[in-house]
Amino acid sequence: MFCAGIDIGSTITKIVIANRNEVLASVVQRTGAQHRRRAHRVMEDALTQAGLATSDLDYIVATGYGRINVPFADAQITEITCHMRGVSWLDPDVRTIIDIGGQDCKGIKVKDGRLDDFIMNDKCAAGTGRFFEIIAKVLGIDLEEIGPLSLTSKNPAEISNLCTVFAEQEALSRLSEGVPIADVAAGIHRANASRIYGMVRKIKIEETVAITGGGAKNSGLCHSLQERLQLPVFIPPEPLITGALGAALIAGEKAARVGGPGLAALKKHRRWDAATFFSDSATQAAMQPTNSQHSHMG
Amino acid sequence: MVIAGLDIGSVFSRAVVMEENAVVSMTLRPTGGNFRKAVAGLWRDIRTMRIDPLDIDVMGACGLGATFIDRPFMKIAELSCLSRGVHFILPDIRSIIEVGNQYSRVVRINADGKVTDSMASEKCAAGSGRILQVIANVLGIGLEEFGPLSEQAGRPAKFTTNCAVFLETEAISRVAEGIPVPDIIGGLHHTLTAKIAGMVKRLKISGDCAMTGGGAMDSGLTRTIESEVGLRLHVPEDFMLASAIGAALIAAERDKAAVAEDAMASLQ
Repeated sequence: MFCAGIDIGSTITKIVIANRNEVLASVVQRTGAQHRRRAHRVMEDALTQAGLATSDLDYIVATGYGRINVPFADAQITEITCHMRGVSWLDPDVRTIIDIGGQDCKGIKVKDGRLDDFIMNDKCAAGTGRFFEIIAKVLGIDLEEIGPLSLTSKNPAEISNLCTVFAEQEALSRLSEGVPIADVAAGIHRANASRIYGMVRKIKIEETVAITGGGAKNSGLCHSLQERLQLPVFIPPEPLITGALGAALIAGEKAARVGGPGLAALKKHRRWDAATFFSDSATQAAMQPTNSQHSHMG
Repeated sequence: MVIAGLDIGSVFSRAVVMEENAVVSMTLRPTGGNFRKAVAGLWRDIRTMRIDPLDIDVMGACGLGATFIDRPFMKIAELSCLSRGVHFILPDIRSIIEVGNQYSRVVRINADGKVTDSMASEKCAAGSGRILQVIANVLGIGLEEFGPLSEQAGRPAKFTTNCAVFLETEAISRVAEGIPVPDIIGGLHHTLTAKIAGMVKRLKISGDCAMTGGGAMDSGLTRTIESEVGLRLHVPEDFMLASAIGAALIAAERDKAAVAEDAMASLQ
């Protein structure tokens, strides 16, 4: 039984194709402005990777903030449920998940494999991936460099502002005072770690803590968070795809529940539309009439 | 006695020179990200007005970059400077809304121009004049065009966030959706006004109120605040210089008090 989970985040789109509990393919791409086009694109790439055709997929679950823009999905499930499911499958001992996305940050509590509580910040850019994108630009380095660079600091700079706009200014004035880039980066990571910790603490942090999302790829942020948490931390080998993985697992369960005849009916009604246009220009042309449907995705 | 007041802000630097309680010279220039250069520029401006900076007897200063001033001065709290300056320009006004680049603040003052109550949105850029500048950059227009353009707003665009960073993203989305520029600016004015209205209500301000800071340049914002919060706003002609004037006046008063104290001490 082949199932897919597709997670359209604000910044990155992820997809996982699984055969029951075995991951066959996973693809990660930048979302960009056109959600539908990206959904088709990652699906095409993942199918190629898995050596499957669209008709082989029994059930597809879409999640993430762009989940309603996946016309071929059989169900839409919130990313909180999917993250929990994906992380619990990777490590059943996880009780607290800290998911640091491109434009939001979530704390998720897991109890007996079920969702216990969650907290979320999508109102303020502090503590989200966006913050690091902006600061990396100020420091004149790539986003991937900011974490490792911060770990070389012996004397982290004091960054008192949590507002991204003000912290950007503060980072600039520290640099003009001659503070080394690594120290500014370390200060930035500390400030964000304490902001994230302060939020997640409200749902009572329990062992084991998992860090997922793009933030988990930032070694400096993980280090600062661990300093605050003083608890063992589990970072999945592929922290970006836990939501898509969870979605694929849930898709597997749903497919088993629906059963053969139901699945055949689902497949028949699945809307692949533009998915068959696999060349870039053709996809673009095919997407033109549906452009207006993106407008409500702010 | 020649007194001077400097206000070195994050966006603009200003200086006023006063004599006998009257402004004799004033200058305003962009800070341009370098406080030291901005201060040097102010001295140059003052010299071109045929005033020798050495003739200044007392100097007061405020603003983010005041520490970069290379001549003796008294550092005075920004809030006191703003209140004293507005009181000097508009003696009958008892409340002030300042929309600056770093934060917005609402102040109540008494008949002496002293602060009695105040609130500021200082934790983050939401609610500050900075968001006007951020959106101006997105739209590729100047802040001074906001007022006239917003007059043409039909249905103000909806913004779901106050965060300056996310507002920028939303503004870009609105532009991509084809929403007209006046409606985007109109929506922004509503968002900013809602934030300021909260502070105005908590300080129980009504009636006449002064408006200062870079945000006062935006006539669309003042109009929105007037209609939605129900205030009569007065934008002084020299609204950008209010704090500099206040700094000069307070420095002169403190100097006078110190001189008197010295005289008393020498008598004893």
